[in-house]
Amino acid sequence: MTIETTHMMMLANTAAGPGWAGFILWFPLISLALCGLWSILRIKSKLPAWTTVGCLALAFLTTVALYVSYSEPVVIHLFDWFNLHWGSGAKAGSFVANFSLYVDSLTLLWMLFVTGLGTLIALYASEYMEPDVGKGYTRFFAGVSVFLFAMSCLVMGDNLVLLYLGWEGVGFASYWLIGYYYTKPSAVAAAKKAFIMNRIGDLGLALAIWFIWLNFGTVEFADLFAVIASGAYHTEAGGWSISAIPFLLMLGAFGKSAQIPLYVWLPDAMEGPTPVSALIHAATMVTAGVYLLCRMFPVMQLHELALPTVAWIGTSTAILSATIALAQYDIKRIMAYSTVSQLGFMFAGVGVMTTAGAAYHVFTHAFFKAVLFLTCGAIMHGFAGQLDLRKLSGIMRLRGWKVVSVTMLIGCLCLAGFPLTSGYFSKDMILAQAFTSGHSAVGWLLLFTAGLTAYYTFRVWFRVCIGPVHFEPGDEDHGDDHGHDDHGHGDHGHGDGKFHPHAPKWAVNFVLIAITVGAILAAIPYFMPSGEEGVKGGWVASMTLDSSARDGMYGVYAIEEKGKLFGADPYNAMYFVSAAFGLVGILIAWWLHLANRKAADALRAKLLANPLTRWLPTAMENKWYVDEIYHVFVRAPLWVIGHAFALIDRLFVDGLLVNGTGYLPRAVGRMFQPLQNGVLQSYAVLMAGGFALVVVLIVLVMPWLQPILADWMAGTGGAG
Amino acid sequence: MMTADSLHLTMATLEPFSSLELGHFILTSAILFAIGIIGFLTRRNMIVMFLCTELMFQAAAIAMIAFGRFHMDLSGQVFVIFILTVAAAESALALALVVLLFRRKETLNAEAWTELRE
Amino acid sequence: MCPGKLVNFCTVSVAGFCTAVYLAPLHATRTDRGGLPSEPDRDQAGGVRPVGHEWMAPSLLYTISILGAVALYMLLRPRNVSWKIIGTLLGFAAFGWFLAEMPAVLAPDEEGRPGFFYLVFSLISIGCAVRMITHSKPVYSALYFVLIVLSSAAMFLLLAAEFMAFALVIIYAGAILITYMFVLMLAQQSPTADDPTGQPEYDRMAREPAAAAIVGFILLAMLGNMATDGVESVGEPRVTADRAALEAVMDLNLMPLDLEEIVAERYPDAVIDWDDNREAVVIMDDRPMVRLIPEGATSPEFFELSLDDAPGNVQRVGLALVAVFPVSLELAGIILLLAMFGAVVLARRQIELGEDELRGMAGLRKIADYDSSEEDAGEGGGDRA
Repeated sequence: MTIETTHMMMLANTAAGPGWAGFILWFPLISLALCGLWSILRIKSKLPAWTTVGCLALAFLTTVALYVSYSEPVVIHLFDWFNLHWGSGAKAGSFVANFSLYVDSLTLLWMLFVTGLGTLIALYASEYMEPDVGKGYTRFFAGVSVFLFAMSCLVMGDNLVLLYLGWEGVGFASYWLIGYYYTKPSAVAAAKKAFIMNRIGDLGLALAIWFIWLNFGTVEFADLFAVIASGAYHTEAGGWSISAIPFLLMLGAFGKSAQIPLYVWLPDAMEGPTPVSALIHAATMVTAGVYLLCRMFPVMQLHELALPTVAWIGTSTAILSATIALAQYDIKRIMAYSTVSQLGFMFAGVGVMTTAGAAYHVFTHAFFKAVLFLTCGAIMHGFAGQLDLRKLSGIMRLRGWKVVSVTMLIGCLCLAGFPLTSGYFSKDMILAQAFTSGHSAVGWLLLFTAGLTAYYTFRVWFRVCIGPVHFEPGDEDHGDDHGHDDHGHGDHGHGDGKFHPHAPKWAVNFVLIAITVGAILAAIPYFMPSGEEGVKGGWVASMTLDSSARDGMYGVYAIEEKGKLFGADPYNAMYFVSAAFGLVGILIAWWLHLANRKAADALRAKLLANPLTRWLPTAMENKWYVDEIYHVFVRAPLWVIGHAFALIDRLFVDGLLVNGTGYLPRAVGRMFQPLQNGVLQSYAVLMAGGFALVVVLIVLVMPWLQPILADWMAGTGGAG
Repeated sequence: MMTADSLHLTMATLEPFSSLELGHFILTSAILFAIGIIGFLTRRNMIVMFLCTELMFQAAAIAMIAFGRFHMDLSGQVFVIFILTVAAAESALALALVVLLFRRKETLNAEAWTELRE
Repeated sequence: MCPGKLVNFCTVSVAGFCTAVYLAPLHATRTDRGGLPSEPDRDQAGGVRPVGHEWMAPSLLYTISILGAVALYMLLRPRNVSWKIIGTLLGFAAFGWFLAEMPAVLAPDEEGRPGFFYLVFSLISIGCAVRMITHSKPVYSALYFVLIVLSSAAMFLLLAAEFMAFALVIIYAGAILITYMFVLMLAQQSPTADDPTGQPEYDRMAREPAAAAIVGFILLAMLGNMATDGVESVGEPRVTADRAALEAVMDLNLMPLDLEEIVAERYPDAVIDWDDNREAVVIMDDRPMVRLIPEGATSPEFFELSLDDAPGNVQRVGLALVAVFPVSLELAGIILLLAMFGAVVLARRQIELGEDELRGMAGLRKIADYDSSEEDAGEGGGDRA
């Protein structure tokens, strides 16, 4: 695999960029500080939300300005952080990781949707979190600010250490926000689960950074890529550690982006508030793994099995989580599994060498998945926590829910890959590239998964949004908490007659519409010029071409090796093939969940009745028992080992060493305690006995000892 | 016949006093002292305990007189006068204390007083 | 305590003491030596006396000490009468063995023999001491202590300390022991239902006799060891007896009236010639001489004095007290005075005075007066209710 050197030369000559770009990082920090101030001042209004929204909007505007002024990759030095040099001559070593930003087009692509969506979702949250005003409202927006700051560090850092800071920061913010409802045991458990799962991945990333510094002597991207491009690194010293780097990076990415085997935290993370699910666990943070692999693409090529591994892990994750999503009833959870599945698509894209496709799918997915989550959140908010698709039906006909239903439809179309939607084009890039690069098995599996995706997506929409009107409130009937009068739902006489769903207000509707428009418009970049002949993917491709992810553009450099699909260029053939899979999925969903809903139950009953097929729905509904398997094979042994160590600690360390040490003087003291009985004569006995001993010493021992001592003294004196 | 003359004993009339004789008296004194200590340690009656201290004073006095006799020195005897003084003072004070203690607990048992333990 | 027994006890004690007092000086006095000692005698007495006796081996001393300890332990905590008898016999055996092993005790004419009276009084004092610490009745203990005092006073006589012997009897037996008796009577517990004898348990049962006996006899063994070793190394006295007898005559310088009396008896017409140091008695050629001016003569001449002219023990002790240790004497007086004060302060009965009495003594108004006046004011009436 050859490495294009022109780009690397360009990277090596990075110019100093504009210093004001640092405000992309500072605005979220300012927001955080202000939130802290509001908390101290006990602000009981929506001020924190407006602070955060304003700061994030400013950060977004800064990003746009940076994009507009962008001409070539630049390093923006903010201040010295780690700047260590030692030795001299051949022994010279250094460790430089400054607080600098590395701005190339890949950075800009990510920052655009991170800050943009961040702003919009913060606006959405300002209404969504309304019931918590004065309670956790400030805490929530502080967490969002922390997240945006960390995510900006992650994406904009010019070295792996700064990236790692952001990496841990987003993990922390994720923990903070998943555990937002900290009085709910399930939320706390989910937060802990997410944090611990991420730790496993972070260990891989940390080790990868360590190995990179050991082998290449630098952790700064520009230098690192230059060293790799020149091949001037010594392999004989650490051959295995160089080979390990891509796999360790992969582990980090899998942890953060919820891939097999570390995906189980993401569905549970839906315990957090819905804006958090939309922003962190669908649109931005979980794509950090994809960003890492794109950014470190030259490093990923250090071992020839690394990229196929990524492809296959992504494919497996996609199909596994899609099958789980088929059988879930909780709409938010379906979206969570759908996110895992789509992330699998992205990883498969990176694996089959279309970083442009992966990045484009990240881009489009960020919009339409945000829409889907936000609509789910709106429904949950309006129906008192009700997320069960069996208990919601035909909400489109309720007043005020049209916007939600329509935006959800568009989100579903994008996700299902309906022709001419943004998801359709971005997914096609990955699918086509799979066939083009010769991974046709991956391609077919992903196509099948696309069909499943279409089915479960529309299963949700057909069930919830259209059909006969019917709904039951959820268990968080907090409608009473903030009054009925301000919601205008007097004529919502449906349901049980007591519960009145409250439709979303302007902020939610505005955000939904805005993001939906974004999701629709996200198809346009596909048709924009990519800036290079023969490269599909339009604007996004042009953004990835001008970065370290350029090498992951199979089509650019190996066009003559293209495989064929149905005798045609896969990029062209895929328009029809994937559309067919998607439409079939939608049709099945229409038949089972709208036209003939009883058929779905009948199918399920039939499958359950047959002993040979009973396992299928059961296993899918129970998420293939992955949690249980982890429980048995990871948690239970750890539990046993932990308790064994606890026992050792209690018996040996605490018992023998600590308490034993304390017990010894006490026991000795107790031994002599009877002597202190307060009776005068026993003291007198001791005194007389001591006196007798002294006399014995003088009379008997000293005459015997004195010559010996005298001899010894004479001996030492003579020697001296 | 006990006359003033016969009691007018001067140094000139003394027999020689050998170190061997001195040893006998010292041993007697040592035995008395040991018995006094044992009595002080074993008897529980406070008055008898003080009697035992007086016995120890006696032992010391015998040793001093014997040494004074051996060295033909009057300091031994003078010192015994001071021992007598101290013994008298001590018995006066100690017995007053004993009376005081007896009033408190209606017992002479030295073991009844265990406040030293605290 | 039966009065008859007490009378017998006292009679026997006093009779024994008087006998001892009568006999002891006779024994202690060198009756065969009148006048001045002859030259060879002086040499014998004043020279380095060869210690020709082997003191007992330390191991033997320790063995005897152990025997004594066992005997004393049996007497301190007797299980029955036979224990008492065996303990007594063991004690006597130990003491006898002890004496038998002492050099020159059994050899009658051996020089340095301690003498019969030493044996008697030593035995009495040690026996009484043992009885004192083993007797269950404190009164008897005190009486046995009287016997110890008497016998040690007799030993003082043997040691030519007559004044101290009588002082001991007067002060100890006469004063201190009487105080003990009074306190014993003051602090006597009346017989109770469970203790009809009036003998409390703490008097009947010795505490930790084994430990005490072990400690005591370790001390005894060591003291004995030191005594024997030390006596062997003492060697000769600091001042020989003859020299001390000579110097005793010099004390007449401090007692001019006595000297004048002696001179008036011996040399009726002579006048004592005091020199500038107020001294008239001098020693010339190991003889005591007095400087006199004979009648009619103008210059002094020396006349011989007898060694028997020296002041007696009582006089010399008095002289030593006032001439050599005057400050100590004063201090002893102060100590006794303070002890008396202390005894008075300690033993006086505490009388609990009420608040009104205290206020009355301090010259304040009584509380009752305040109460009556406050009731009029109506202040604090609720508190009292």
